[in-house]
Amino acid sequence: MNAQIPSKIARGSAELAILALLNEQPLYGFQIAKHIEERTGGVLRFTMASLYPMLYELEKRGHVKGSWESNEAGRDRRYYSLTTVGKKALAPLRREWRAFFHALDTLTGFSHA
Amino acid sequence: MHDWIAVVRENLNELDLPAEQEQAVVTEMAAHLEDLYEDYLRKGLSDAEAFQCSLEQATGLRTTRRKIRRAKCKEGLMNSRTKTLWLPGLATLSAASISLMLLQQFAYLHPEVWQKDGGALVVDLPWLLLLPLCGALGAYLSQRARGQRIASLVAGLFPSIIMFAVFCVLIPVGVLVERNQFIIHHPTYFMLALVNWTVIPALLLFLGVVVVWLRSADREALPSRAS
Repeated sequence: MNAQIPSKIARGSAELAILALLNEQPLYGFQIAKHIEERTGGVLRFTMASLYPMLYELEKRGHVKGSWESNEAGRDRRYYSLTTVGKKALAPLRREWRAFFHALDTLTGFSHA
Repeated sequence: MHDWIAVVRENLNELDLPAEQEQAVVTEMAAHLEDLYEDYLRKGLSDAEAFQCSLEQATGLRTTRRKIRRAKCKEGLMNSRTKTLWLPGLATLSAASISLMLLQQFAYLHPEVWQKDGGALVVDLPWLLLLPLCGALGAYLSQRARGQRIASLVAGLFPSIIMFAVFCVLIPVGVLVERNQFIIHHPTYFMLALVNWTVIPALLLFLGVVVVWLRSADREALPSRAS
């Protein structure tokens, strides 16, 4: 799946991926892209063009908050952390996606394929 | 050492954002490119290859200028409050007003339930029975736009809130300016009208809001039960 696909599904899944990741720890843009690529075995990949507009959109909605901090190498990076609003938004988003995959699985049986 | 700031600027051009904000975006993306480039080097690519691969990511930024500007602007074309409160509230108000107008025009006319000293308290029962639907409409639209519970409540009760403002501000001012003797000498009528046009509709609208809340609570519970 490519996060650049202009569809609500791709957009929604990308949103969920970012929020779920930031729920674990604050990360900066490059780390977010790297973690998602590594942890999905390269199935989900974010380019800068897909990642930053989404991060800024989430920040505008108050789901994440960015702040400049030094990373382990002493360089300034903008770390994003999940806000209380973001945490509240993550729970229903997870439920929606669970229901969506459950429904799709019931219909297509892809988990048995 | 590559000038990643220049690379980003070349691809993003002007973002039309306040200078400080634009500088922060450019710095953040330049830092991303720097990390990406170093990551490619660690993976064994040559300097030229790593730079080329990083440049490819930067050229993708050309298509995102508008999205970044839109996301960075304080308010979008339609902000969250408009989508979750004002529009659903307006929909409730329109539904309540239009249904009242149509009923008065084509169907059931006011039954006067209480009349004394030239004043009358009228109750449009068919209209009141439609109000839960109007309240549910506003609450549903608000929830669909991911509005919080308070936004859906206000959207659902919007007609009553407007009428309450009319009764508490506009009518008293009008009565004082015009020196309306009837209302001044019959405050009970005023209070009854306030109940009739504000409190009773609010209760019925609230009924619709509660139904929407219960339905959405059921829907939220379903997937977790299924899993």
